Amino acid sequence: MKLGGYEVKLEKKLKVTGWEAAIISILAILVALALVSLIFLQAGVNPLVGYKAIFSYAFANLFGLPLTINRSVFILLCTCAFIVPMRAGLWNIGMAGQLYAGALGAFAVALAFGAKGSQGMNLAPAIVIPSMMVGAVLGGGLIGAIPGFLKGRLNTNEIVVTMMLNSIAFWLVSYMIKEGGPFMGGGGEGEGYKLPQSIYAPLILGGPFTIPIALGLAGLLHFMFARTKTGYQIKAYGLSPSAARYAGISAYNVPLLVFLIGGIVSGLAGYHYFAALPGVFKITRNYGDLGDLSFYGIICGLISQGNPLAAIPIALLFGGLTNGGRFVQGQLKIGFGIDYALLGVLMITLVAFQFFYRHSIVWHKSRRES
Amino acid sequence: MPQNAVKRGDTVLEVRGITKRFPGIIANDDIDFDIKAGEIHAILGENGAGKTTLMKILFGLHQPDEGGIYVHGEKVNFRSPLDAIHLGIGMVHQNRRLIPAHTVIENIVLGHPRAGTILDLKRTGEEISELCDRYGFKVDLKAKVWQLSEGEKQVVEILKALYRGAKILILDEPTSALAPPETKKLLASIKIMTGDELAVVPFITHKLPIVLTISDRVTVLRRGKVTAHLKTADATENSLAQEMVGREVIFRLERVEVEKGKPILQVENLSGLNDKGALALRGVSFSVHEGEILGIAGVSGNGQQVLAEVLAGLRRALGGNVFLDRINITHCSALQRWLKGMGYIPSDRIDVGSIGDYSLAENVFMNYYFDDEFSKWGIVDSIKVRRLTEELISEYGVVAPGSDTTAKSLSGGNLQKLILARVLSRKPRLLIANLPTQGLDVGATEFVQNKLLEAKKERAGILLISEDLDEILSLSDRVAPIYEGEFMGIIPVEQAKREDIGAMMAGLKPQVART
Amino acid sequence: MWEFVARSLDASTIFTIAALGELIGQRSGILNVGIEGIMLFGATMGFIVAKSTGSYLLGFLAAIAIGALIALLHGFFSITLGGDQVVNGMGIWILGFGLTAYVGYPFTGPLGMERIPEIVGLSPFFYVGVALIVITWWVFSKMNLGLRIRSVGENPSVAVVSGIDVTRTRYLSVVASGMLMGLAGAIYSLNYNPVWSINFLLGWGFIALALVFFSMWNPFILLGGSILFGSLWQLSLNPQLLFPDVLSRYIWRTIPFIMTIGVLVLMSTQWFSSRWGAAKPEALGQPYEEG
Repeated sequence: MKLGGYEVKLEKKLKVTGWEAAIISILAILVALALVSLIFLQAGVNPLVGYKAIFSYAFANLFGLPLTINRSVFILLCTCAFIVPMRAGLWNIGMAGQLYAGALGAFAVALAFGAKGSQGMNLAPAIVIPSMMVGAVLGGGLIGAIPGFLKGRLNTNEIVVTMMLNSIAFWLVSYMIKEGGPFMGGGGEGEGYKLPQSIYAPLILGGPFTIPIALGLAGLLHFMFARTKTGYQIKAYGLSPSAARYAGISAYNVPLLVFLIGGIVSGLAGYHYFAALPGVFKITRNYGDLGDLSFYGIICGLISQGNPLAAIPIALLFGGLTNGGRFVQGQLKIGFGIDYALLGVLMITLVAFQFFYRHSIVWHKSRRES
Repeated sequence: MPQNAVKRGDTVLEVRGITKRFPGIIANDDIDFDIKAGEIHAILGENGAGKTTLMKILFGLHQPDEGGIYVHGEKVNFRSPLDAIHLGIGMVHQNRRLIPAHTVIENIVLGHPRAGTILDLKRTGEEISELCDRYGFKVDLKAKVWQLSEGEKQVVEILKALYRGAKILILDEPTSALAPPETKKLLASIKIMTGDELAVVPFITHKLPIVLTISDRVTVLRRGKVTAHLKTADATENSLAQEMVGREVIFRLERVEVEKGKPILQVENLSGLNDKGALALRGVSFSVHEGEILGIAGVSGNGQQVLAEVLAGLRRALGGNVFLDRINITHCSALQRWLKGMGYIPSDRIDVGSIGDYSLAENVFMNYYFDDEFSKWGIVDSIKVRRLTEELISEYGVVAPGSDTTAKSLSGGNLQKLILARVLSRKPRLLIANLPTQGLDVGATEFVQNKLLEAKKERAGILLISEDLDEILSLSDRVAPIYEGEFMGIIPVEQAKREDIGAMMAGLKPQVART
Repeated sequence: MWEFVARSLDASTIFTIAALGELIGQRSGILNVGIEGIMLFGATMGFIVAKSTGSYLLGFLAAIAIGALIALLHGFFSITLGGDQVVNGMGIWILGFGLTAYVGYPFTGPLGMERIPEIVGLSPFFYVGVALIVITWWVFSKMNLGLRIRSVGENPSVAVVSGIDVTRTRYLSVVASGMLMGLAGAIYSLNYNPVWSINFLLGWGFIALALVFFSMWNPFILLGGSILFGSLWQLSLNPQLLFPDVLSRYIWRTIPFIMTIGVLVLMSTQWFSSRWGAAKPEALGQPYEEG
């Protein structure tokens, strides 16, 4: 393509620097926000007004900000759960099922310690709460390990398996909390039982203790990838499975390990939302919405290019957008589901921008001498 | 296209002033030559001389920057292979442009303008059979291409070009993948074609004897320029080699004599399946001693790849045993084999031997991540790795800005040097080198071969797999030709005659005693 | 009992047509894991148009059109831009999931139109599905077009030197596949279960993907697999037909998904995987680059 005295060409990039990737990602987000503003327009709302309302509720409001942070932590955990297999070149879209399983695990442990009964807990919270977390880890880890094991041993397609497990876990939760299931709450509303106050998650600086745990986890995972032998092997497998095999890296163990980690982290996300958030403390009737929210982990993971630390600000942004979006849709009469629409548009914009990670637009003076 | 008017000796294709540039290199520089009907005109040149580019231009896959192509005196402009095909140019590629999963007929008829909406495979089959009879080809038209031998696949490609009405047939390295008997048959068919006023243009790298036997004229390329137009009758092997390389060519390396030690590798009755589930390795037995090089000579696709992968632990053995220094490693993982002192240089240096997106240091770490010297409690000592990498880079002369550059920015030769450095620095007791000089230029090839000899001096046992018979004969102590998964013999190099080894590679029993 | 069989076959139709669309795309070398997204688009747009205009025909046409459009998008990312096809497919899925949740929400609820009359007790689309299967088989094995599509999916560089336009052929296949997926989605929302709710396809698009792999790209095996899964689905909704009072109905809902995983595991066994490897279009999922 010629423009004036210059030739414009698309050339393959040899390497993407961190800065270039960040700029491309930010551009993608901006483009997506611009596209979603079309929805605002279609509903008769000035997009700038709309976005201002969203951001001010999400980040500048006494009630909105804590909700934003809680959501962001949830998204961050789901993102980490997506990122670990992603670095191994595998797709974990099963965060939803894994977090459901984690929630089931946590509530099962609480039940075992008598949380549902009326006589109160017979064990100190200091024992029960960590045990609940272990339950969440086991539940999520188990569900997460299945696609990893199948991929490693039998090379089964992990996309389909994780998706199937999402549905399986979804119905399992329904079974547990509705129509007389073991976790059913007393109100007859088809939701899980509510945790007794003694095992509410302790608060640190006003927020549930899962917040620093999530941040610490992100840091830990980043360290794992940057400096450890395990991280090296995972990355090698993700970049070139055949070269990794040649070097003796186990094609059985890497998928299993990364999905195990992914499941565990998702399980913790389930614990975080259903058992640690003030005002919740039960498996809610529309728990499926949380499964839907977990898909933001995919986008967040792609934008952060697999870097758990970079995921933190991005998760915060999306936590705010979805929280604000839900709040504002009633206020501004936009129609339900603006956060879903944003999810969809963001994803496709990001996919489109993938092109720019691999190609750069280069300007040459025409008619080069040899 | 005037078909009837063509007589033997008419110029059918002329190339004038063809120039093609790529970033940093002039692949074709002002090339002139002409092709006459009924002749066999060989284009000769080393790797990197510009043959591939020229071929692609003649077939419409590239556009020349300057110059023109003239068919029957008229200037033509090929925008795609379709244009070239329309003007009667057919091409037979070295890396078979066939679809293995489809039948011979389906491959031949693919894209044919007369194929019609509904395929009439019966009539097509009859027409193709006629072509086969005419030119002396024998191939099962209903077979799926993956079932055919290399020679048969080449026949299918030739038939495809002929069926499309090609009058000028470009052949890319037509005999490199063939064993001698198949070569003879091919040459006979080519002679019949030229009798029909077809022109045949083989592009050849180093099979100089073939050039002398078969062609009428030769054009030699060196570094993108034409250095000679000769009538073959006026040329000799040496004169051609000189034109190709531009200096006196030395055909043999200095031999290195090392005292042979105990057997480091013992293989008993080893068999294995290839990716399609067919038996590719049929119960081979042999041993490799410390300080010796055992050269496996064979045309690609006869089981060498499977053998290498089974030995390296990358493919499960179907049966048999492998002993490394008397320890049975048949069921050991690849990692365990590295730890026990085996080293493997894979044939695919890009997708298997290295990780393009990793830095040079990270690539070197591929053979050191399991070494406790370089990581404590799971945390990598990256300074140590970098230092090692820099030592290896300078020792092996890898041209690169530093240990942090990505591997994919290295040239083929430099990448192979890095891989060699990484593997050899572990001082393996058994080294498996799978096509170690494939695709490398003369300088890099010499370097690699010398490094193998150095490893031999350090008393490693080396299994060398190569398609280059000269390389095998100059490096090995013993030679084992492989054909269809079996060793046709294991012969000490002093007793190995080139013609015999070549015959065994084609499956013919030798008159030489086995060792 | 007949009711069970009939409804099973009706359900299978949707699997058949959606999976057939993906089969065609995959035969040309394009992998689309976002089948669910295109089906959701077809289902939602078809539902909205039909409900708003009162015309089934317009609804189906809208679904086919949107399916073609979204598939074109996938094609653009995968063919022209040469991006990672799995990433692109995921994008298509999430786009469908997200956008249809928003666009369709005001239409939540039943379609409220008279049902399309049945033929011999089955939905007319069952016959459409079977016809499409036969046509596809015939095109691929007997027609030049089929040979060209297959070649593009096996080895595009060979197709190119044989004079075939790889880009054009792939775009054609992808658009055809999108039309079928949109149609399948509309059959679900307009005929099989005419009630709209968020994400109401419940992962059927992914089951269709598994079915394509399971069928080893053979349309007839695909038909058989779809019927099997249609039956499983019906069973999961009405377990009392065969197993009264055994297990909660929620547990039964998990059966089709467990079976899909089971099928995938089965496909990894030696017998299956060698045949599967041989049948797989060799260039599946790999972008083609000139030169």
